This record gives sequence, C-alpha cells and structure tokens, in this order.
Amino acid sequence: MLPNIDLRIANMIKALEQVVLPALPRDQRLARDQAMLVAGHLRMMGEQWKSALRYEQVALDDLQGLARHLLPDAPALLADDLKAALSMAQACDRVSVTAIERANIDLGHAVDAVILGGKDHAPLPPESIDALLNYALRHARRERSWFKANRLDPDQHDLPDLETMLAEAD
Amino acid sequence: MQVTPARSGDVDVWDRSEMEPRIRHILERTVRLRDTGPYRPKSDAEVTAMLTGFFAAKGLEGIAITDVERMSGGASKEQFAFTLTHRETPQGERLVLRMDPLEAIAQTCRGREGEIQSIMGNHMPVAPVRWFDADGDLLGQPAVILGFVRGVTQPSEGGSGGVSGMGGRLGSLIDRLAPQYIDALATTHRFDWSRAHLRFFDAPRADSNQAAIWQVNWWSQVWWDCLVEPVPVVALAERWLRENAPLCDRPMLVHGDLRMGNFMFEEPSGTFTAVLDWELAHIGDFHEDIAWTMQKLFGAWGDDGVFLVSGLLPRDDFIAQYQAASGNRIDPVRLHYYEVLNAYKCAVMDLGQAMRASIASNNHQEVVLTWLGSAGAVFLSHIVQLIRKG
Repeated sequence: MLPNIDLRIANMIKALEQVVLPALPRDQRLARDQAMLVAGHLRMMGEQWKSALRYEQVALDDLQGLARHLLPDAPALLADDLKAALSMAQACDRVSVTAIERANIDLGHAVDAVILGGKDHAPLPPESIDALLNYALRHARRERSWFKANRLDPDQHDLPDLETMLAEAD
Repeated sequence: MQVTPARSGDVDVWDRSEMEPRIRHILERTVRLRDTGPYRPKSDAEVTAMLTGFFAAKGLEGIAITDVERMSGGASKEQFAFTLTHRETPQGERLVLRMDPLEAIAQTCRGREGEIQSIMGNHMPVAPVRWFDADGDLLGQPAVILGFVRGVTQPSEGGSGGVSGMGGRLGSLIDRLAPQYIDALATTHRFDWSRAHLRFFDAPRADSNQAAIWQVNWWSQVWWDCLVEPVPVVALAERWLRENAPLCDRPMLVHGDLRMGNFMFEEPSGTFTAVLDWELAHIGDFHEDIAWTMQKLFGAWGDDGVFLVSGLLPRDDFIAQYQAASGNRIDPVRLHYYEVLNAYKCAVMDLGQAMRASIASNNHQEVVLTWLGSAGAVFLSHIVQLIRKG
C-alpha cells in the first residue's frame, strides 16, 4: 500500500508545521491553536493506529472479566441481561474495530445497570466493588498510556509506552 | 461503601428530579436543540450582523461594529472582541462577545454568568458585564457581552501552559498572585447571596444534603444525556456520591472554576485585573471550590519538586491561608467528598459532554474537545484513588 498511512500522517504534520502555521497571521490565535492541535492529534494517531485493533481487544477482554466477576452477585433480572451481553461480546467479530467497539458499549450498559442496582438500587457487595475498582484502575492506566503523548497527564512519566502497555495486558 | 444515614432535612439521594430549576432548563434545552446542528463557527460578518441587530433592539442608534477579532482560550464559548460605536459613545468602546455554540464541554447559562459577574464586580476585579441575552432571544444564541479587560493568564515569558491554562507555570509572580487568589476565593465565599435578589439562581436548604444531591443530579444527568461509551467507574462514582452525600450547614456562593488560567493579571505588577469564567457558579458547599482547585490537572510542580495548588501554593499552605482569610474551617470529610465529586464532574465533561458535542459536530473547536477528552482517564484514575482512600 503506497503511500502508506505512516507516510501520509508524517506528510500532513510537516505541511501543517512548516507551511500552514507559518502562513497564519500571529493574531489568528484560535486558528493557530487548532492547527497545532491537529498536528498533535496526527502525531498521536501515527503512534496508535497500528495497535488500535489490539487495544480494543484488550479493553473488551478486560470488561468481560469484570462482567464475569459481577455476575454471581447481580440481581436476577440484571444478571440475565448481563449474561446476554457477555455472550454477544464473546461472539463478536474480533478482527473488526467497529464490532468490538459496539460490543464494549453493549456490555458496558449491562455492567452499568448492575452497578446502579436497578430500580431498587440493590446494594453492591464489597467483592463487586473491589472488582470494579481494580478494573477501573487497569482501564484508566490503559487509556492514560494510550493518550500519554497529549502530555496533559500530571503523572505521565509513570506510564508505560504503548507496546509495553499492550504486552503487559498479554 | 458506607451509606450516610438520612437526616430530617435531607432529600432522597436517588431522586433525580432534585435539581436547581435553571440548571434543569439548560440541560433540557441542550437535548432539545442537539439535533439542530451541526454548528458552524461564526464569521466576522455574521457576528457583526448579530451584534448590530442586538444593539438596535436595545435602542442604540447610529451603531457601528468594527475591529471584530476572534479570541482564543477556553474550551467552551465562542468569543470575539469588537469595538462598538453609537450615538452616545462616538469614541467607541472595546467589548467582548462570549456566546454559546450549540454544545460545549460545559452547558451553562449566560443569564447566571451575567448576573453573578455583574454583582461580583462590586467585590473584586471582574470584566464588567454590559449586556446579556440568557436564552438568545435577540442574538440568536445565548451570550454575554463584557467590557474588554487587559491582562494575561500566564506570564508572557516562560509561563506558557497547555490547553485552557492547564499545566502552566507562574514563575516569579507567584508571591504576588497567591494572596490575591486566596482573597478572591474568600471573598466569593463570604458574599451574602441571600440579600442579592438573584433571578437566575436558587439555593439549596441549609443543614441538609440537598447542596450535594443537586450537584450529583446536575452532572449525572449530563452523563446520561451525553453517554457515548459506558465507563463503569463513572457509574460507580455516581452511586458513591449519592450514598455519601454530606450535609451542607451553610450554603455559600461557589465560583466553580477558580484556578490557574481563570484569573487575569497585568505585567509586570502581577495585580489581578479580572477573575474569569463565572459560568459554573452556584450556591452550594464551599468545599467544592477548595477541592476543585486542588486537582492535580489544575496545578503545577515547583522547582523544588513540591506540587503547587493552582500553580501557586503547597497544599498545606493553601489550606492554612484560605482558612485564615475566609474564617471557614475545612472539614476533611466534606473536602474528600467534593474531591470525588469534582473528579466525577471532570470525567463527565471530558468523556461525556465533550465527546457528545464532538460527535454531533455542535462546537466551534471539536479538535480541542477531543484533545481534552483524551485526558479524561486521568480523572478516572483519581476517582479510584479517592474512593479507596475514603
């Protein structure tokens, strides 16, 4: 595939930084800010795109693990929905980013319903809360690592690079 | 998680209808108008036409709008500086138009912003409010028109920060800025809102959990109205916030976003010229402001490796100086609660409202919103740490 995605991203960044930005008047600050952010997004996407499918697979696998933890203590009606969403997630097309994203959303809704405990706000057992917090910390660390290059994270130096983060998930 | 036992003045923590009426109006309007997008950034000519119509409706004659200049900064409102000339002001006045795109990272009310900023101008430096159009009846979209104030939010030399004033460094001006910052917080909280005849604000009951539940219902409704992708810890945080809602003995005016990037000062004196961004102001628990400014994302590391609240003061110094200036005692339990609430609010804004506005293409700077959204997980991590600590 020529020109490949890496090359096109690199070309776009160069065009923005070396042609478009210098041509923008200094007083056009919003336009300049946005042009710089576009370059920043492109740089991040250049690092991410080859791992996007793997990232979504890891995220779905982790959410499925959480759902299995929550299942035994979930109120009956909510447990049925969670079980159904879990089956759908297990059956989804694992080579399609779109299909995995959809499965993540559907399973996420069923997990949310269990967390909120339905209409009666059924209590959440301590084991479920522990499982949720452990999952949440993994999820947050994964996302923070994925977007580490935005440099907004005050603890960015404690985060692994993308390859290490995905290898850790394996 | 331990559930806080109910007191006699408390509201039902799961009653989602417990919300300040004007906030409910804004959130319902957001959903109602969402599908009328996408939003297109306004051109200078469009802004000129809108303003000319507005000032004519206000009865001004001989109107001329000149030197329209789009402003940067913020992640929410579309802002333009312009000069207004009319029969009674032939010399012209430099003003700022701050108006709502169809959706932004925070959906708030220009009526509330205009009203409170106008009143607080009697107590601290703020940009003078010249007009506001709470529901966009005259301008076509809600807006506030402010007097132009000179100053910077970061030192011109060596202080450049990131998006929306986050992560900057205030350098040698810290000693001059910190006392003014503390004073702005204390003055806000001392303000006697009960005598102010506020039209756009309602107050929660004292000695009740209503102040906390109003906030939880505000932000949880934003989350569920905007939901793009479920995030389990956001739902867990909502549950925790309901089950642990604390009593607020004395509701006070809360600025809602008073931190680095939202105060403007002149150089080289470091004198405050304006406390900015009153759009999140409400009557509530002052711990919310204290917890907000203590967030890591709104601070900076000093040269000696000590973390500085809002880039100004170490945490203990900040607490001691605030308590001395305001006379308020900080309750660690309520502070902890509002730290969770604020991390939750930020997660809702970054991963909920900002993403929904971007997907709907209803803003003028989606590229900024998605950039901020990419920092949302910082708050998820923070929520976990805080809930575990509590």
